[in-house]
Amino acid sequence: MDILFFKAALFGYLLSTCGYMASLILKRVSAARISAWVLLAAFVLHTVSLGLRAGGAGLTPAVNLHEALSFFSWAISGGYLAFQLKTRTRVLGAFVSPAALILMLAAASGLDVISIPESLEGGLVAAHVILSLTGEALLGLACLAGIAYLLQDRWLKHRRVTGYSRLLPPLGDLDRIGHICLLIGFPLLTFGIAAGSIWAGSVWGSHWSWDSKQILTSLAWLAYAVLLHQRLAIGWTGRKAAVLSIAAFLFVLFTLIGNAFFRSVHNFV
Amino acid sequence: MNLILFGMSHKTSPLEAREKLALRCGEAGESSTGILGIPGVKEAMCLFTCNRCEIIAVGDSPEAADGIRDFIADTGEFSAEDLDRFIYVHRGGDAVRHLFRVASSLDSMVPGEPQILGQVKEAYRQCVDRKSSGMLLNRLLHHAFRTAKRVRTETGIAENAVSVSFAAIELAKKIFGSLNGKTVLLVGAGEMAELAARHLAANGAGKIFIANRTYENAVRLSREFLGSPVEYGNIGEKLGEADIVISSTGASGYQITKDMVAAALRRRKNRLLFLIDIAVPRDVDPAAAQIDNVYLYNVDDLQGIVDENVKTRVAETGRAESIVAEEVSLFAQWYDSLEAVPTIVDLRRKLEEIADGEIGKSSWLRELGPEENEKIRQLVGSVLNKILHGPVTGLKEASRNSGALPYIEAVRKLFKLDDSSSEFRVSSSEFEENAEEVKGEPAGSAASGRSESREDN
Repeated sequence: MDILFFKAALFGYLLSTCGYMASLILKRVSAARISAWVLLAAFVLHTVSLGLRAGGAGLTPAVNLHEALSFFSWAISGGYLAFQLKTRTRVLGAFVSPAALILMLAAASGLDVISIPESLEGGLVAAHVILSLTGEALLGLACLAGIAYLLQDRWLKHRRVTGYSRLLPPLGDLDRIGHICLLIGFPLLTFGIAAGSIWAGSVWGSHWSWDSKQILTSLAWLAYAVLLHQRLAIGWTGRKAAVLSIAAFLFVLFTLIGNAFFRSVHNFV
Repeated sequence: MNLILFGMSHKTSPLEAREKLALRCGEAGESSTGILGIPGVKEAMCLFTCNRCEIIAVGDSPEAADGIRDFIADTGEFSAEDLDRFIYVHRGGDAVRHLFRVASSLDSMVPGEPQILGQVKEAYRQCVDRKSSGMLLNRLLHHAFRTAKRVRTETGIAENAVSVSFAAIELAKKIFGSLNGKTVLLVGAGEMAELAARHLAANGAGKIFIANRTYENAVRLSREFLGSPVEYGNIGEKLGEADIVISSTGASGYQITKDMVAAALRRRKNRLLFLIDIAVPRDVDPAAAQIDNVYLYNVDDLQGIVDENVKTRVAETGRAESIVAEEVSLFAQWYDSLEAVPTIVDLRRKLEEIADGEIGKSSWLRELGPEENEKIRQLVGSVLNKILHGPVTGLKEASRNSGALPYIEAVRKLFKLDDSSSEFRVSSSEFEENAEEVKGEPAGSAASGRSESREDN
């Protein structure tokens, strides 16, 4: 049953992505407005799917690869929709919706694999996975907002404001989105890492095993710590903050796809 | 269609002529009643703006047309020659099309300007107050409002600023998002700078600092804008506080240098800074634009944006015209079916009255049981339906092909339908709903350009 909803949600993300693309091609905001509603519908279906999965199996719905990707996609869409409520973010969805779609497609490829080691059941693992993934999703959103910021900044600097520039949100809004995502996402990531470390300490006897994922994560964490410091203490806004936010998320991306290349204790994810 | 429209616009006549006519006509509602007095005119509405005078009337008889023409000639004191030059006349579908184009702002100097729709609504309201409009004009005007709304929402004709000061506001929004609480610094004064400052204030900008070489002028202007005057030498310091700077001094040489901007940016912790340089020669060193988080636009840049926007609007007129054409044909369809529908209703009522009368007269029916009575009624009903089927479908078909009138006349005569009156009315609920629309401007458009183009005032 949850798989049916998952597929419906996947289809919804596909539709909203097409809508946003149409909005870009036709240069019409109205298409994006409709797509936002489609995205919301997909998000609701996705929520139901995750809920059913969690309720049915009594599992954290985010432990194996399929679940993790699906959860990531859910969190990034949810985060974006929350911002859509508060600001007129317009066609920023054209960045978010495809990202969600790609994650869902990747998740769909591992749909049938539901096997996790027994050692991974328990509250701390759930907290570790959910907190980290939500944090990373928000930071991903900050990265997308950063990319949009750099585009918009370039257009405004070069005085090319009559084309695509119209479709993207104002610089101020994009910067605020990046800032808020960082303010929420960074602590979530921190708590997520801490939960994982505590669990590892109690089960494996060591809090930190320096596997590839952990190294990359610590690099990403450091980059975000620097960014947060620069933003809050030095007052970085705008271009520099956007660039660092994008760079830092590249580390996060490596942690997510790095397992394909390295052996690690996180191999199941 | 029983419609005639006389008009003179900025395309056909000089301003003085339109002014004279409008002034002498007085209020639009008043002159509508005047035109209603012309023999053959059943409904009338006048619209006066500084770019056009339009008189639209129901009643296309030669005497009505002559009457309105004489009215215009007499009121405006135009010679026959002038009258022929200034005035255009549209009849039937062309009149509908013209009105729809006017309301949709396709006939305006700057296509897509938002004021004309409000002006048409106001003129219509006055004419409703004076009861000079009837069923046809009511329907026509509501249809015009609907068309204008469609054009506005479905095309990009009303999007984007078409004046330099508004282009600056749009850019400010593009940079900051909301302008709420943003600090503005005016350096030097000038019409364009003051206009831009006024627009900024109207859009929620907070504090306004005003610097001028002559301090007294700064003080005078700051009273007007409720701002604070600043010594000219302190511009550099205020750059640290201001988010939007509008510079328009008449000085030669850069008043705001790159170093000043760089220093200000450090003080303002890199918060975004929008510099608008509308002075010629320029006030702000163009090199300042290289600094991160600084956006510098001069008057040519802004004019370039405006030109681009006007082009976009013109490009959208094609789509707008096809919407108008669509709506005109919808209106024509409604107009043509107008007379067929009440006739069909009357015809059915007439036949039912006859049947009811005959059943009432037949006393032998009462001796039968209720079941048989019901059966007989059903039989009579289905006979009526069979009889009506042919004429009704015939009428509807003819009305779709715009040729219903002769059939309608024949049916009304043959069945003596005009003994009892049955006038088609716009239902009251529909009217109220539309009256609501007259008051409420579409939200998005109004904000973007109400005070921007002084077209059609």
